[in-house]
Amino acid sequence: MKTKRLLDRDEVLGPLCLLPVVIYMALFIGFPFVMSFVYSISNVTIGNPHYRIVGLQNFIAIVEDPVFRKSLVNTCIFTFVSISIVIVLGHILAELLRREFRGKWVVRFLVMLPWTAPIALGAIGFLWFLDSVFSPIDWLLRTWGLLGSPDSLFGAQSNLYWLGRPELAMTSVILVHVWRILPLAAVILLAGMNAIPREIIEAAQVDGAGYFRRLFHIILPLLFPVIGVTILFATFFTFTDMTVVWILTKGGPPPNSTQVLASLAFLKGIAGGDLAQAAAVALFFFPVLAGIAAIVLRLVKKAVVT
Amino acid sequence: MTGRISRRRFLRTTGMGTVGLALGPAILTSGCTKKKAARRTLRLLQWSHFVPRYDKWFDPYCKKWGEEHNVDVIVDHISLSDLRSTFASEVAAGRGHDLIEFIDPPSDFEPSVLDLSDLNQEAVKRFGAQLPATTKSSYNPFTKKYYGFCHGWTIDPGDYRKSLWEKVGMPDGPRTWEDLLVYSARIKSQLGVQNGIGISQELDSNMAERALLWSFDTGTQDEGEQVILDNPKTVEAVKYMTELYQKTLTPEVFSWNPASNNQLLIAGKASYILNSISAYRSAQKDVPEIAKDVFFTPALKGPRGSGWACQHVIYVSVIPTFAKANADLAKQFLLDLCANYDRAMWESELYASPSFFNAPVPEGDRGYTRVEGAKILRDVFNAWFANDPYALPGEAKGKLLPLQDAEKWSANVGHPGPASPAEGEIFGTFVLPNMFARVAQGKQSAEESVKQAAAECRKIFDKWRAQGLVGGKG
Amino acid sequence: MKRFLARSGFYGGLTFFVLFAAAPFYIMLITMFKRNHDLLNPANNPFFFTEPPTLDHVKLLFLQSLYPEFLLNTLLVGIAVVAITLVLAVPAAFSLARIAGGWGQNLAIGIFLTYLIPPTLLFIPLSRIISLFGLEDSLWSLILVYPTFTVPFCTWLLMSFFKSIPKDIEEQALIDGCSRVGAFFRVLFPLALPGIVTVIVFAFTLVANEYIYALAFIQDSAKKTIGIGMTTELVRGDVFYWGPLMGGALIASIPEALLYTFFLDRIVAGLAAGTTR
Repeated sequence: MKTKRLLDRDEVLGPLCLLPVVIYMALFIGFPFVMSFVYSISNVTIGNPHYRIVGLQNFIAIVEDPVFRKSLVNTCIFTFVSISIVIVLGHILAELLRREFRGKWVVRFLVMLPWTAPIALGAIGFLWFLDSVFSPIDWLLRTWGLLGSPDSLFGAQSNLYWLGRPELAMTSVILVHVWRILPLAAVILLAGMNAIPREIIEAAQVDGAGYFRRLFHIILPLLFPVIGVTILFATFFTFTDMTVVWILTKGGPPPNSTQVLASLAFLKGIAGGDLAQAAAVALFFFPVLAGIAAIVLRLVKKAVVT
Repeated sequence: MTGRISRRRFLRTTGMGTVGLALGPAILTSGCTKKKAARRTLRLLQWSHFVPRYDKWFDPYCKKWGEEHNVDVIVDHISLSDLRSTFASEVAAGRGHDLIEFIDPPSDFEPSVLDLSDLNQEAVKRFGAQLPATTKSSYNPFTKKYYGFCHGWTIDPGDYRKSLWEKVGMPDGPRTWEDLLVYSARIKSQLGVQNGIGISQELDSNMAERALLWSFDTGTQDEGEQVILDNPKTVEAVKYMTELYQKTLTPEVFSWNPASNNQLLIAGKASYILNSISAYRSAQKDVPEIAKDVFFTPALKGPRGSGWACQHVIYVSVIPTFAKANADLAKQFLLDLCANYDRAMWESELYASPSFFNAPVPEGDRGYTRVEGAKILRDVFNAWFANDPYALPGEAKGKLLPLQDAEKWSANVGHPGPASPAEGEIFGTFVLPNMFARVAQGKQSAEESVKQAAAECRKIFDKWRAQGLVGGKG
Repeated sequence: MKRFLARSGFYGGLTFFVLFAAAPFYIMLITMFKRNHDLLNPANNPFFFTEPPTLDHVKLLFLQSLYPEFLLNTLLVGIAVVAITLVLAVPAAFSLARIAGGWGQNLAIGIFLTYLIPPTLLFIPLSRIISLFGLEDSLWSLILVYPTFTVPFCTWLLMSFFKSIPKDIEEQALIDGCSRVGAFFRVLFPLALPGIVTVIVFAFTLVANEYIYALAFIQDSAKKTIGIGMTTELVRGDVFYWGPLMGGALIASIPEALLYTFFLDRIVAGLAAGTTR
């Protein structure tokens, strides 16, 4: 009887509900995170767990490193472009999926597949899809006469070399990432659209607002609470993801044309053995991202409360 | 579905969940908690071999070895690209396998593994001299420690398509890098088939670029672990590669992964690649008509007559400090593996070559037709390379003959110096492929690119000198 | 005419998205039954068979590799992780939505910020914890670690979900004599079920996608999950076993995609409830 009354009190029940999460996260994220931070100011290597603190020299070393600067730019391009494409395409896809049509189940199934394929395997599939000799896309283009003879649109060479040319490789990496998270974005946007009262959109249409104005000025702001969290999640997910880059290009084509911070950290820390610099690479942007995240999340919470 | 469930049903479902969770551990861990009191366990971490047949021999071999020594032997296979991350996590955890086999010298793990000087001495006593290049891949001359034990290595020859080279008047393939440039350019312009040397952020390109530098009498370091990359011969090599790219390659060589040059060869679209015989072996299985046309060259010679290839795989085993209690078993296992290396060569379809060529061939049934009069591994090796036992019916004889003296033109990563953590990081972060690619793509002049790469190398060397693992002066 | 245009636009768009999403899977399907000799000839049609199809790759996958075990392991880990995620995230979300004040806000943001820490290197210090618990080479290591990336998102999702449920429903239950906890289980929990379905499917997807912790903590082939298991057995250095790899990837994607297909309306409803205010 007493316990029940105790549990009815907010100041007991509130923390009690949170306690498991806090303990769990502290142990499994807090501790490793503190360790990563310690690594970044130490001289630890992959093969020597005994280290001493050396201060900020790892951070100075990476800032001077052109590969790091290049990876930083690549990461920003990769993240920004993928997320933008995902939002726009995701919105269109959601519009389409709302309607009733024959074969809806099949379409849903096919469209959801990329998100459910384990990415390590999905990316290997793309390794073949974008292969420098066997790419099925190139085969189609050759068959249609768009590639492989002197007067073809894409040139006389037999293949496009998707992963061999710096710009095309970056495009490929972005497309694979978009391919992968588009279904998720569509589902979330679909949910958001269902939640917006029809009248608001119709009113906007009557006012003559164009598609993109409607999207960016009315729909997206209304969807902010769920979408804000999701975009943030997708952005972080993209910012810290290395699987796609690692499997498709290992950061190549040289010189590091698709290298992103996450893959660079892996390259330096695991392949190269310099764990300390790798930790510095991985954590370099933590403060900035944390700041952005805190602002967005605060706005989200505010939006939810009102 | 109503979206509501009664409380009773909810409790029932979660209750079942709890039972499942409680039973879970018993099911999930039953495999590893069974430890018989008296029997010891030796745990090996192996990469899943290029040649599946090798693993099919190796696992039962280990089991049998365990029975003979009253030990449980567990062999875990992982993907070779995951070796370093897996061992890194074991080092951090302070627990894991007793014996780990790497495919390149894991010299940066020296502080976390046992000094194997005694094992290496014992092996030399039993089997005769070790191949110098393999010693350089397991011994750190600066700290005077053997961080590993190298029992074998893999030849990295040139693989060429004879029919194509015949048509341009070089039926025996190229002998020098100059031949490669001149004749594969002709093959490309006349027959439309390109050359297949990679300049990508991957293993095979890394090796090809090293072979090129050594053949041009330069490299990343000298014997005394001093960075020497920044010299006119490197610039010469980079210019050569740029010309090779312009005349014989396509942008695809920047995109490659380790499988790409094999596939290019098998697709019939490469006139020459640098790869182990595994490319040829998979062609034998999948596209025999191409395999029959594939022949081999030894290392190509540079402008001043030196010719070097990079050892393709270097089998280096380490015993972690945390596995000290089982070190005696692990060492015994390695010695016995060397004593049975004829089988390792055979089962890897001649992919693996021994570090100890003078080791005696054991008596009795060895699972293959015995080589007449063969007393040491060298005899078996010579016989098999003279007449490939895995050749397809109707295939030309003596294809592998040019590889019989491969140890004379095969070098370790770091040649002419030792393998070291600095060399490892230069290899692992693709400094050399990037150096060549920047020039081939016209982004930098050869001089600038070499200068930049040399500066990167020096930084890396200084860092590892500060760790006390690399000799020479900054 | 206008209607015709709209309709063709609609189907055109649909076709585009279906092709974009499914083309790689179609290639996977074909490659799964394609002879290597056929596959490795660049002149052959990659979208169909030039030589007769073969079952060799499927046989290799199911009879000579541990693929069925990999699937089962992934399923086991998935179920356990979903359970743990719910146990941790549901009360936390409830507390953050209904009870906690300003400090709760900061805590919620703190939980979310854990996504900023790249797992690329985190696995090294984590392996120390795993060995402290003695869980190397056990699926429990993954079960223990994976909620680190499922809990934050799920907590946030459920939090906005609980907020969308009007307070008076809960208060009515309290007046009826329920305890706070009782009211939660009787009233809030059933109402939140669509949100919970979303969380389950979502957590499961993330688990099946994970790669790096699995490779650091599991070396015993029989205990591997789908991602690392397949690359160990079917990517052998410079030889990719394309047929079985593609087949394995396709088969592993199907069950979950079916889940999404059939629960899509519910998931959408779950997410939408979190948006309405």
